[in-house]
Amino acid sequence: MKKILIVDDEKDIVETLSFMLKAKGFECICAYDGEEGLSLAKSINPDLVILDVMMPKINGYKICRLLKFDNKYKDIPIIMITARSQDEDKIIGEETGADEYITKPFEFSEVLEKINKYLA
Amino acid sequence: MNKVFLLFNADSAKNRINSFLLSKSEMEVMSAQGKIEDILIQINNFCADVILIENGYENCEFVIRQIKSNSKNQNTQIILFLNKHEQCSFMNLADGFIEYPLNDDILVSTLESHFKIKKSLDRLYENNKELSRSLYQLNVLYNTSSQFTGTLNTSKLYDIMIEAMEKTLSFDISSVLILNSEGNPVFNLNTIHTPSDNLVNALKIRSVLNFKNELKNESHPVFDIENIEIKQNIKQTRSNKVFGIDTISYDSLYAPIKIGDEFFGVVELFRQNPFLPEDVTCFQAITHQVALPLRSAKLYEEISKTNKKLEKLEKLKSEFVSIVSHELRTPLTPINNSLEIVLSEQAGTISDEAKNFISMAKRNIQRLSGIIEDLLDLSRIQTGKLDLKYKICDITSSLELLQKTFLQVANEKNINIKLEIKKKLPEIYADIRRIEQIFSNLVSNALKFTPNNGVIDVCADIVDSSEINVENLISVSSPIFGNYIKISVSDNGIGIKKEDIPKIFDKFSQIESSLKRNNGGVGLGLTITKQLIDSHLGAIEVISQESKGSTFVVYLPLADNLKVFEMDLSHALISHDDVGIIKIISKKEFNLIEKLKENKLLNLSKLSKELIFDIGESEEYFVFIPKISYSSFEAYCCAIEDYIDKIKQNECDIILSKMHSAKDGFDAVKIMTILTKG
Repeated sequence: MKKILIVDDEKDIVETLSFMLKAKGFECICAYDGEEGLSLAKSINPDLVILDVMMPKINGYKICRLLKFDNKYKDIPIIMITARSQDEDKIIGEETGADEYITKPFEFSEVLEKINKYLA
Repeated sequence: MNKVFLLFNADSAKNRINSFLLSKSEMEVMSAQGKIEDILIQINNFCADVILIENGYENCEFVIRQIKSNSKNQNTQIILFLNKHEQCSFMNLADGFIEYPLNDDILVSTLESHFKIKKSLDRLYENNKELSRSLYQLNVLYNTSSQFTGTLNTSKLYDIMIEAMEKTLSFDISSVLILNSEGNPVFNLNTIHTPSDNLVNALKIRSVLNFKNELKNESHPVFDIENIEIKQNIKQTRSNKVFGIDTISYDSLYAPIKIGDEFFGVVELFRQNPFLPEDVTCFQAITHQVALPLRSAKLYEEISKTNKKLEKLEKLKSEFVSIVSHELRTPLTPINNSLEIVLSEQAGTISDEAKNFISMAKRNIQRLSGIIEDLLDLSRIQTGKLDLKYKICDITSSLELLQKTFLQVANEKNINIKLEIKKKLPEIYADIRRIEQIFSNLVSNALKFTPNNGVIDVCADIVDSSEINVENLISVSSPIFGNYIKISVSDNGIGIKKEDIPKIFDKFSQIESSLKRNNGGVGLGLTITKQLIDSHLGAIEVISQESKGSTFVVYLPLADNLKVFEMDLSHALISHDDVGIIKIISKKEFNLIEKLKENKLLNLSKLSKELIFDIGESEEYFVFIPKISYSSFEAYCCAIEDYIDKIKQNECDIILSKMHSAKDGFDAVKIMTILTKG
């Protein structure tokens, strides 16, 4: 079973998202702030990370950069979730090195499509 | 009294003429003896009307030349005494001749006529002097008036006024009392010599009294005389002369500076030599002339203050919209997700009726997020943060996709969306997502305003700029030339009144214009559409007939058009011969080329060194400017970190920098500036 780490301080988003992903046969691990997310990412070695941008303690950009610039984790696909459209530019290809991004509010099918790109 | 000077060798002749002339009471006669130099000095001091000189007088020719060369004697008449039939080489220097033997009548009549000539010449000279003075004043006035129109800066206007008065009226003192932009009085004093404190005080009080006098019927500002700001400008600070209080008794000119009811201040001039009537005219002309630009300056100041306030408000509003939109998006996400879970029956089966209502909720969530997206787009456009990702792209597949997307909604209203592509469409240089947004807006509008069973035609073609009727275009922001893709979206819906057509592109126009609105949407779609078309250097045209239907025609430039830009670029002129680096920072690649062209910053023939292009991470610039890259100079495309090194190594003529690249383009430019200065 593929492991997906979901990091978002919005509990409702995490809960609904993990519910739907579990139904599709993924194993979901959830974190509710940046610090927790980063340490989990390093300890459980997930197959994919879904990462919110605005979070307390460590924001999504930073986590993404820390993972992507670490040879040990750089191959883990990262999908970022953003509510700010201006952030889109920063996420892709530039500083963070994230692989994909999704803008809130998103359709589940959209998320699934992007996950399948990497885990199918 | 007429003055005659005698230069004779023979005493006999001299004495005779002397006594004869003295018998005529209206004459002053003088003669001299001694060295030539002394005699010449005496002549110059005497200022004779007529000089009688005998041929044969010692150094006669030299003396005449000396007299003539002195400007004091320029009109003095010289009469030469000759013997009968005598001729001499310098006869042309004299103004008249008398022959011996002397005849009294001839002498008198000759003298009389030369006195007259002298007087006429004097008068002519005076008139000429006055004329040239007036001409000078006129010239200054003319120059001043053009200077006045050249500025809207209040203090500069007063400076120009004082300068003009200084030139034309050569005053000793000018005192001006005006109100500055904060409404506080400022007293300006221009003097030739240092004024005494008493004089400054006296002039200040005098100005304040004049000022109050001008405003006698109105409420005037309360002047705290002690605290009026004084600006002094002394021309000859080194001279020992001091203007005392008695200077105030000099001749003076006074005028208020006003136009119509609007009053700006008072000005007064003092001069030791009395002012002439022409001076008064000139003075009034200047004070009158300055009032008009002062009024404009005042209005301009008010407008720019208001503008600044408005800009701030607009920015606040945009920020507010943007923040609120973000905050709305986050809670929408779990709502949407939850509905999706329930609807997919993953959390348990639900009745068909419940499914129906949940679907309704989901549809409206989608609608709401669409509105939020529009609001965000609008706020981005207004704050200039809309960042477009230009690429060479194919529009045909987008149009086909669009047709499919709207199929379901169209079927619900039994509307047929027809897509006709007349020719194979060439590539365009665009942000394809935004292009899709443009047509999605237009088609969804068409669907909204077309009744059931209607038809929507989407038709694409290629046209030349000459086939576009520029007058029909809605406020075009870029020049129309070359080839365009023309895409029209036509419906047979309710149509738009002719007078309403320009309004539909305004924000929230739908809300404003109809109380009976039953068509949904907040009326932002077309505003955004127009802005997006502008960003792509395109244009839009609306053809509509009430109750018959509307056609929206969008023109998008072909990627080929860009070649025209390049050509223009190579013909552009440059005025900066000595500029090593021309910095151009542009957000949008499109605008960049346009700006270069407009500002005529590029003359490629003059660029001998290298060109460095920073393009962040994209290679899109080179889609635009391949010509530059294979010209006689090199062009680099690199990330900022690298190009700083490049600059260190090579001098370069032009740097094109993208503002939002990995490292901030601004920082890079700062570093560059430091480097070039160093």
